[in-house]
Amino acid sequence: MLFRRIVLCALLVGALAGLLVSAVQHWQAIPLIAAAEVFEASVESADPAAALATSAHDHDHDHAGGDAHAHDAETWAPDEGTERHVWTAVANILTAIGFGLVLVAAITTWEHLRGRPLASAGTGLAWGAAGWICVFGLPTLGLPPELPGSVAAPLGDRQVWWLLAAASGAAGLALLAFIRGPLRLAGLAVLVLPFAVGAPHLAGGPFAAYDIGIARQMEALAGPFTLATTIATAVQWLALGCLSGWAVGRWVRPALAEAASGL
Amino acid sequence: MQQQATLHIARPRSALLAIAMPVVTAALLGAVIVYGVGFSPIAAAHNAAHDARHVNVFPCH
Repeated sequence: MLFRRIVLCALLVGALAGLLVSAVQHWQAIPLIAAAEVFEASVESADPAAALATSAHDHDHDHAGGDAHAHDAETWAPDEGTERHVWTAVANILTAIGFGLVLVAAITTWEHLRGRPLASAGTGLAWGAAGWICVFGLPTLGLPPELPGSVAAPLGDRQVWWLLAAASGAAGLALLAFIRGPLRLAGLAVLVLPFAVGAPHLAGGPFAAYDIGIARQMEALAGPFTLATTIATAVQWLALGCLSGWAVGRWVRPALAEAASGL
Repeated sequence: MQQQATLHIARPRSALLAIAMPVVTAALLGAVIVYGVGFSPIAAAHNAAHDARHVNVFPCH
């Protein structure tokens, strides 16, 4: 019962927040990605290795000017236009449902352990802000938002560091918020840990592979892209937190009381 | 009175299972979904979620 309520709430919350953030991105971040992909495609055709790879499977690959990561003609990729936008929205909604599951579960645990009806849209906002710090604020301090076409350290290294930053953010904030006494300060050490390890970076910066002229133009896109992702993710997390807090108070609380009463 | 006391003793263990299990399972399920969308190395998953990965600042390619 409790599990079903948590999942249903996360589905609802994730669908709403995912649709909202898709709409926000559609007019701010997505056009910047499209602009960067034009440059990405230009360096791709100039790069001899990539040119060779392209000629290996005749020249009419159907994502010209589109997804330059789909080097392999066999690999499925959504068509440009509506299909791509729909998949982006689906991915956003799934991501929001995933984050929503964690958030609803966390708020439920918090309310249960405190033993008071604490979950609400207002307290949910604080949870959403904490989530945003963990999966946007801290990771982007080490790994700035990447435009398509930017070059960075090996993917696996960055993924590991990203997960480390998000996990230590969650652990550090939890220690600071819920522990009383000197152990609380260990939360600061946990927060700083990924930065002591250091985020993986390449020498030369993200646009070193390009002509200086194109690199300048891509740099000009990077600032607005950072701003756009900051706003879009903040909207997403505040919506997620607010809706999750409200949903826990409205639908999970009765199931929690039932489970807590020993059934 | 006596009945209440019995309930109180019966509560902790079952409540721990009745609450901890669903909460932890839900959170893990959420983590798996986020991993699938944001980190999965499968090419089709990457291509479908490409723009969402960039905007959610997951490391991408």
